[in-house]
Amino acid sequence: MSPPRLTGALRSFSNVSKKDDFTEQLYDLKTKRLKRRELFAREGLTWHKIVHFCSEHQDKAQQQAASQELKSILLAAKQIVGDEHGQEAIESAAVFLFETFHNKDHVGTEETRTIKQMFGPFPSSAAEASCAAVAKLVAQLGDSHVEDFVQTHCSRHNPQRGSAFGRNIAFSYESYTLDPLEDLPNSGIHEDNVNLDF
Amino acid sequence: MACARVPLDEQQVTERDAAGRERTLPALHPHRMEGRCFVPYKPPPDDGCSPAEVEEFLELARFITEDLDWLLSLPHDKFWCQVVFDESLQRCLDSYLHQAPRGLDFAALPSSPAVADIQRSLHRTVFLTFLRMATYKESKDNFITPSVFGEIVYENFLFDIPKMMDLCVLFGKGNSQLVHKMIENIFTQQPSYYRDLDETVPTVLQVFDTILEKCGLQCDGATAMEPLKLNAHQQRTAMTMSLQELVDIILYLCDSTSTIYAFLDIFPAACSTFHSHSFLSRLTSFYETTVPDLEKAVKKRNFDDKRRQEDLWKRLSHSCRKMIETCHLLLHHTCLQPILEGGENTQTFAEELLQHFTSFLPEKRFLSDYDEQFPIADDISLLQQALPLIDETRTSYLLEGVQSAWDSTGRRKQHS
Repeated sequence: MSPPRLTGALRSFSNVSKKDDFTEQLYDLKTKRLKRRELFAREGLTWHKIVHFCSEHQDKAQQQAASQELKSILLAAKQIVGDEHGQEAIESAAVFLFETFHNKDHVGTEETRTIKQMFGPFPSSAAEASCAAVAKLVAQLGDSHVEDFVQTHCSRHNPQRGSAFGRNIAFSYESYTLDPLEDLPNSGIHEDNVNLDF
Repeated sequence: MACARVPLDEQQVTERDAAGRERTLPALHPHRMEGRCFVPYKPPPDDGCSPAEVEEFLELARFITEDLDWLLSLPHDKFWCQVVFDESLQRCLDSYLHQAPRGLDFAALPSSPAVADIQRSLHRTVFLTFLRMATYKESKDNFITPSVFGEIVYENFLFDIPKMMDLCVLFGKGNSQLVHKMIENIFTQQPSYYRDLDETVPTVLQVFDTILEKCGLQCDGATAMEPLKLNAHQQRTAMTMSLQELVDIILYLCDSTSTIYAFLDIFPAACSTFHSHSFLSRLTSFYETTVPDLEKAVKKRNFDDKRRQEDLWKRLSHSCRKMIETCHLLLHHTCLQPILEGGENTQTFAEELLQHFTSFLPEKRFLSDYDEQFPIADDISLLQQALPLIDETRTSYLLEGVQSAWDSTGRRKQHS
């Protein structure tokens, strides 16, 4: 909890601020995760494009193997988002897993964090399974080929639309700190602690 | 994309709606805002909290940082649509200003490196967002008509007086020039903020009265307005109130004095508004009445945790410094500076300065503390140089009064 603040009193008792009801929270973490998923689903890469990409560059035998891996990714995605969500949400999660693991050989801390941030708590076995399936797909298709495909379609890797404001502004983290006039006088603090046990 | 060389507030854009139909809208229009769901900020958890609480904070802070990075990367027109119309963004920014840890807080720096890293990153991103919001001209192509900018920020509460005070105390120390430019720009384009400031100062004074009341020290207003209750002697004092109450009062005092000082230091143009509410005399009298009582309570009360006692003392002593520095800022900008600039009313300002110093004479504790930080003899010497005809009897009387204040506090002057 924040300590009592002057500006808190000014917000409450003066008439110069917007009166918001801060007890009513607009969005919590769960709502935010759902919103992020929705935004992700609207962006560049789709499951359909991934399936097409995996099939167009391979012969029939390879296509069968790829199809198996794609199914594994979908299954893992289903386990991560939960059964109650429709096919669209599952495919969007599968795209997310493909993007996350296309250049990774194991599920590291960063990947765990990224998935958790998008979907909340998830079974680690599903992440392992999707990571392994993506790795097999990438091995068949070729690293650079997949990287080019992802870079072309995926907005997550190109988040900057033009240059971000303030990129070149020198920012200082220095902040006001305690600057007392004097230390607590010894007479006050230590007189209670004088050892009288002669 | 909106068209160039026309202020944003006059631009029209043609876009396709969700159904694919073309429509023409003002560039600043709520339909052009994106639903992003900014989450409100909460401060980092205390040391010793559960890993789940740490994880929750990290997730929250990453969401906000990611969203603000996205916001800062938007083109000028889209940025302003979001800022003006997205209520969740305004709440997110306001929650950060209000709740972000100050350098003065108990646990300002989180001990977890991950928490500290994300907090730093968020701190910078929030600052840049406010900086962009305070800028009406980003480039020759991207700008808003200054008067319209003034209306937009004011009518939509993008900035208000408490927010500007928070900005000063959070970012002013290391970025004083930028924060000064931001606030000066806002006040220049929207003079109504001076009226708001004028309405805010009585509430600031009320905060000091509240502290006086909580310490069982009558303030002038209360004495004049209400008869004293018969059981008033049973009122709690700094010595008898609960320890937690004492801690809260000192924390409140520390935050209030630091915030006022930071605001006036960054934006000295506000000094005249504070001055017009007799802030100086109210603050000196508050100092004289409250500081000795609180000092005594911190020294004499029994603390199980001696580190807490030392910390409270530091906060109280820091508050004293900030009150003295605030008084000096007020005197400097309302009296001394005009005298040094040598304008038309030099004599009037000199008279006012001497009157202020004279009014300090009964506040012996305050006077000696002030004199220690900002020797009054130096200011009087400056006055004598600027106005050689100044009444010497009066200045001698003042200097004797200062010496008498030192004598009465039983302390010895450090400077010559």
